[in-house]
Amino acid sequence: MKQTIRMSPLGGARAVVLHRPHANLLALTRQLKVIGLEVEEAWPELTPRARTADFVFFDADMGYDAQFPWEPGSAPMPLIALIGSEAPGRIEWTMTIGADAQLLKPVSGAGVYSALLIARASFDRRRALAAEVAELHRRLEARPAVVRAMMILAAKGGTEEECYDQLRRYAAEWKMSFEDAALRFVARQSSGASLDLRFRR
Amino acid sequence: MSATYSRRGGYQFIAQASFAGALAAIDAVNADPEMPLKFFAVMRDPAAIADAYAPLCESILRETSARHIIGCTTSISRKEVIPSLEKLGGTLWFARPYEGFESSDHVIYTHACQSHHLLPLMDWALPRLGKRVYLTGSNYIWGWEINRLARLRVTRAGGQIVAERNLPLGEQDVGRIIDEIRATRPDFVLNSLVGASSFAFLRSYRALGNEDPAFAPDRCPVLSCNLNESELPFLVDAAEGLISVGPYFRGRADAPAGPFVSSIEMAAHMSVIELARLLALAGPGSENWPVTALLESSPGPISPVTHHTNLPVHIAQVRQGAFEVLHSIAEFPGDPFLSGTFMPPPLPFYMSEP
Repeated sequence: MKQTIRMSPLGGARAVVLHRPHANLLALTRQLKVIGLEVEEAWPELTPRARTADFVFFDADMGYDAQFPWEPGSAPMPLIALIGSEAPGRIEWTMTIGADAQLLKPVSGAGVYSALLIARASFDRRRALAAEVAELHRRLEARPAVVRAMMILAAKGGTEEECYDQLRRYAAEWKMSFEDAALRFVARQSSGASLDLRFRR
Repeated sequence: MSATYSRRGGYQFIAQASFAGALAAIDAVNADPEMPLKFFAVMRDPAAIADAYAPLCESILRETSARHIIGCTTSISRKEVIPSLEKLGGTLWFARPYEGFESSDHVIYTHACQSHHLLPLMDWALPRLGKRVYLTGSNYIWGWEINRLARLRVTRAGGQIVAERNLPLGEQDVGRIIDEIRATRPDFVLNSLVGASSFAFLRSYRALGNEDPAFAPDRCPVLSCNLNESELPFLVDAAEGLISVGPYFRGRADAPAGPFVSSIEMAAHMSVIELARLLALAGPGSENWPVTALLESSPGPISPVTHHTNLPVHIAQVRQGAFEVLHSIAEFPGDPFLSGTFMPPPLPFYMSEP
């Protein structure tokens, strides 16, 4: 699947910076404003409003799970870690929380724009992949229905290939995946609905 | 303050224009009886060697009392000195057009970025000249970024990039570009080649135009985001009909000319005068302040948020050897990340299309 990277301007986006007030944040805040973002600061915890932010920057040094109103690793927006201490435990926690990009402290303006673009791209890609995996899982779970549908069709006298083609035609006709067509076919059969089961030879 | 320009080396004629503008302004400040300060100019010459800039910047900040440096011609040299400025607390006044997407805490940008050159130029050109565009540039950040944004702008306006060809810096073999333009017949050419490559291309393209009127300036002009008066003597006849964009043009030879040779002198001059104004109002010791605080202390044309300058836009064409302004936009804030948030509604012209 082709991924398009969004390079569109970030003007009007909202960033929340989860960090205790600190002089080092001035450069970050100014840079975010230049790039066109609205900036809110939060400490020690994210407010419910943060759920709708476009980006969250978080302190990897003094951060902890309860600061976030969501499960670790399931943030609804791209996260960018502000890393001071590179102690392995802190890096591990940062990855558990789920950083899409990072900035090293002290934060100068340099690196902020690329961190935003990289975080957004990697968040988009991750979310697209997760959606694709979920869809594939769902289709895998429909395998029994496919087997059942094939058995029903075979019982009407079709060869394996004919049964398969027939199911594929239903999928095309109903504009759904092969597995969903199998699910619907099986459901209709068991509810006694009539379907044209003639094989096209 | 320091004036650090490469008065020797590959881009000396442009650097000399900046240097002249800065020195003239330092003289003007020092001659002003109302001005409570004088500038002593620490002059340095990195000779267009990219690796010389950072050590030179550090030596200025360590060994002299200069805290403000006006200098750098290329983006490469500017990127080289930023770490030294951060480490030692200096400020660079960068008075050259550049490709945008930067706003260092330690740099002030007093010439145009892409919100003031490429985008207004494209917005002017596409409805007037046509939407089939040929792109050429030198292989480094300026050419790449101008061409990337031009491609986006043109295609979003429903236009087409007929071809794009970039050359290594300094390359003067422009035959393939000329052949491609002849074959693709664009409505205009956007030239982001620099230095010798640009001159070689413009001379060859003029020869093509003399041979075939389909490539004369009235049918297929060459546009540029940074061509200015200091380059005209090198082009002579090949300059005729070129279209450029900038915050200032000297104007026609037969009309009352402006006070500066080009926008390059103008921006360097304005930088020094604005620094003097800020320091004079803020008082002794303010030369050591972080420059954002200095900008905040007495509002002027430079934004403390973006560090970019409110500038007008002029689009001008070389006619009878001098730039004649075809279209102007009143000054507006620089928007280096094209956020669209630094202007009152309606959205700025470059954000007006999806």
